[in-house]
Amino acid sequence: MGDHISEGRRNEPVRVALLIALATVVFVAYSAHLFYLQVIRGGEYQKKAVTIARQIERLPAQRGEIYDRNYNLPLVLNVDSFALVVVPAEIPADMRDTVFAKLASVLEEPVDELRRRIPPSYYRLFQQIEVASSVGQDVIVQIAERIDEFPGVSWYSRPKRNYLETGSFSHIIGYVGDISRDELKLYYNRGYQTGDVIGKAGIERQYDSLLRGTDGRQYKTVDVRGRRVDAELRDVDPPLMGKNVVLTIDRATQILAEKSLGERIGSIVVLKPATGEILALVSYPSFNANLIVEKGGNNEYARLLNDPRTPLIQRAIQSNYPPASTFKTIMTAAIIEEKAIPLDEKIVCHGEISYGDRVFRCHIRKPGHGPLDLASALAESCDVYFWEVGRDRLGIERIVSYAMEFGFGQATGIDLPGEAEGFVPTPQWKERRFHEKWLGGDTLNLSIGQGFMQTTPLQLADMMAMVVNEGVIYRPHLLKEVRDPRDGSIVTRVVPEVLTASSISKETFKTTKEYLRGVIVEGTARYPVNTKAVKVAGKTGTAEVGLADRWHSWFVGYGPTDAEDPDDVIVVVAMIEASNPWEWWAPYATNLVFQGYFAGQTYEEAAAQLGLLGRSMPIGQRME
Amino acid sequence: MMASIRKLFKSIDWTIPIAIVILMVIGVLFIYSSGVTSAGDLVSTEYAKQIVWAATGLALLVACAMIDLKRVSDYIPIVYGLSIALLVYTMAFGKVVNGARSWLGIVGDYGIQPSEFVKITTALFLAHYLERSAHESSSFRRFALSFAIVAVPMGLILMQPDFGTSLVFVPLYLSMAFIGGINKRYLLSFILFGGIGVVLTVMPLWQTLIAAEQSIVLRIFYEKPYVYYILLMLIVVAALALLGFRFFKKRYYYWLAYGAGIGTLGLAFSLAGQRFLKDYQVKRLIVFLDPSIDPLGSGWNILQSITAIGSGGVAGKGFLQGTQSHYRYLPQQSTDFIFSIISEELGFLGGIVVFGLFFYILVRLALSMRKLRDVASSAFVAGVFGIIFFHFMINAGMAMGVMPITGIPLLFLSYGGSSLWSICIGVGLCLGIGARRYDS
Repeated sequence: MGDHISEGRRNEPVRVALLIALATVVFVAYSAHLFYLQVIRGGEYQKKAVTIARQIERLPAQRGEIYDRNYNLPLVLNVDSFALVVVPAEIPADMRDTVFAKLASVLEEPVDELRRRIPPSYYRLFQQIEVASSVGQDVIVQIAERIDEFPGVSWYSRPKRNYLETGSFSHIIGYVGDISRDELKLYYNRGYQTGDVIGKAGIERQYDSLLRGTDGRQYKTVDVRGRRVDAELRDVDPPLMGKNVVLTIDRATQILAEKSLGERIGSIVVLKPATGEILALVSYPSFNANLIVEKGGNNEYARLLNDPRTPLIQRAIQSNYPPASTFKTIMTAAIIEEKAIPLDEKIVCHGEISYGDRVFRCHIRKPGHGPLDLASALAESCDVYFWEVGRDRLGIERIVSYAMEFGFGQATGIDLPGEAEGFVPTPQWKERRFHEKWLGGDTLNLSIGQGFMQTTPLQLADMMAMVVNEGVIYRPHLLKEVRDPRDGSIVTRVVPEVLTASSISKETFKTTKEYLRGVIVEGTARYPVNTKAVKVAGKTGTAEVGLADRWHSWFVGYGPTDAEDPDDVIVVVAMIEASNPWEWWAPYATNLVFQGYFAGQTYEEAAAQLGLLGRSMPIGQRME
Repeated sequence: MMASIRKLFKSIDWTIPIAIVILMVIGVLFIYSSGVTSAGDLVSTEYAKQIVWAATGLALLVACAMIDLKRVSDYIPIVYGLSIALLVYTMAFGKVVNGARSWLGIVGDYGIQPSEFVKITTALFLAHYLERSAHESSSFRRFALSFAIVAVPMGLILMQPDFGTSLVFVPLYLSMAFIGGINKRYLLSFILFGGIGVVLTVMPLWQTLIAAEQSIVLRIFYEKPYVYYILLMLIVVAALALLGFRFFKKRYYYWLAYGAGIGTLGLAFSLAGQRFLKDYQVKRLIVFLDPSIDPLGSGWNILQSITAIGSGGVAGKGFLQGTQSHYRYLPQQSTDFIFSIISEELGFLGGIVVFGLFFYILVRLALSMRKLRDVASSAFVAGVFGIIFFHFMINAGMAMGVMPITGIPLLFLSYGGSSLWSICIGVGLCLGIGARRYDS
């Protein structure tokens, strides 16, 4: 730093004087103000300091209830329960060990667990630390009787969730839990606090902001020792109970579907195509949400997490599978719309075709289906027909474009967390991913829904909804309406929202529907889907997964085909994973759902009528 | 070598470190007091940590007094660059404390707040630049570049977001630029622009929450679309006045253009401010004007702090005898509201002693500037002066309810290592500068 005499330096003494003057002004003013506060008005503040102070107490809000579409019995209730809190700084140091030990014995917990929740760094905290979140009345009574032995310990009412319906309902409704550190970081700005209960999965998580309500506050005026001076009524901000949520789920249909699936790993979707409302969403294996929210629920959660059958996965929306022959529905619509082949032109199925160095076999081996037009190819689910038309007449680009048009490879936007998107492979993708060219064989695979293509059961339901609605898919949803908890009035009603609108002509859809009906009347599903309660149309599917004699089994159907009111129509998708012993159950499960739903029967009645009661299907002939 | 150190020690103004040590002792005592509960239990070990911070801080202070800044001036730009890099690193990987990503964890609970140290490195670099550019003393370029040096760390800290700490850079800049000979007209314009901007930013909330009667006239300054008309009008006036000045050369047009230009910038600044600041943030800034608008939130803190101070009376309630603090009515009593505890327990007399010590340090620092021969030295001392002055004014003012709540600590007294270390480094360097004033 060299010495530099400049123009600015000449005035420096003046500038320094100015800085000192500034400091002096502030010093004098502050001293005067301090004098005013402490000497002139000191007496006044001394009185104030001794007598009155205010404390804030939190009044937790009741969480909203969840109903099915009929809005009669709640699916979830709140039951009395308490949260136990400790203000560490209020425990005298010499009593700390005894208080901890006593608290641990009352809570039936190791004292180390308690010490972990209140580490030494908290000992000076005046904040409430929650040590137990769902404590029963009995424990509170034990503490209340000897409250002088528990300095700094208090509790507040925190209703516990009681899930009246579990099993497949637990996948939809989800469950709640204490807010985690990461969640707190995310949601802090939305008013969440440490110790809050937050929805962890399903509807509880999706609509947490509706269900949680607003905590109330009580302002206590206390003296300096914390004794209450008075409690005026206006000092209470009452808590606002969370909103009640009414789902589109129909309890009876959900139970019917759950039982129709039985103890088979897989899922069933029942959807109203006219609105996108979901009547049933079943996934097996499932779990019991009550065991997770209860004390020690972490162990149950860990057990579920480690279960190789992944019961925490909601298979209907979170699992991807090859759609197999159900994809022929889209192929059929594409062939008709694109006029790829005259509808009456026949292709001869010899049971197999050779392509490259591979032989592709139809599910009926030599001599094959014989000559078939499109209608009978779909009814018989002939692979050879779709291979040849797909490869030679339609081409990969158009197949991909139609798959996308039907919503494949895109999230359906259902109001549940963690939806899988499925996948539509393209030649560009394969080149990027594997550095291999897209081959004719890949097109063959794709034409019958095998290979790289992946969909969720819900996406297949949407595919069928597109056909039923002749070009429109409404966003599938579970929320029907939001109701005020006090008088049950409707706060919001969900209106159907168009997810995809297709440019495919209505004529094409009409013909496709006709052909799909043929699958039931004279095709592959004529024996399993034999309900007399309703006229059904649909498509079977059996996906190869590389296990010997095991296949994913699909059925995607809708009915009635002759409905006057489009609101009466339902789409049913059944998906049975290949991990089950093979029994070709998907068409039968669908059959049971249609029978029960349209005849107003329970599973037992429907099964009795269809002769399926207690029947475990024998390993049957593989049909596609 | 030894001889030169002995000589250096003789020329150091030791009264400043003595005043600092007294403040540090008071600080440790009342950090201890803040950790005592109503039942008399000590529930915090912050005071013990503070002893360590204070002792190491003093060692740093003495060590820094040894540094001859003239010898290391070549490295100052590198140090500045490194400290900016550290800020960027903190923004990416720092720990979030009190909502700001401002901490770098070192070991366990110990960590540093790089933003505190950047104050010193920025002052060093700015002093360095002011020295280098002294020959173009009054140019606009010098004003703009010197401001940019401060604006970079300030902006980065604002993004953490740590509003209080970034604010310290304003007085740091103003005092350094003032002493460093930046054209006063630019500085004055800067203050005017900032003042208009801040006033207009808080005006809407001030009107709705605090003002007894809403003034309709003032509403045109923030309500859309009127505010856009005003903005447009100001721009047009400024442009016309500029043209007028160009053709008629009347001073009158110059001042008109100047006023309208500053007004335009200030109004634009307030529009940006209203967009970026959330209502609750602005509320926190103006709540001191009338704590009753938020009697349960930050207004509550102010009321409790004033009550604590007022109830201290002339001689105070005595050490460890304060009720407000031990019954937890004060938030962050070991950092933000340490002055409230001191005043409650030591009374007006104790408060005046604290004020006096700060005043003494400030005056001694200012006086030491007079004997310095180069711009860099006096500008750096002015920067440290600005930091201490601003911290004192804002923090003590906040405790007494006359300044906004910004969460900046009372230097030497509040609990915390980073701010203490950084100011010890700053003061140490100033002492070294002062002691070497006669060296060639």
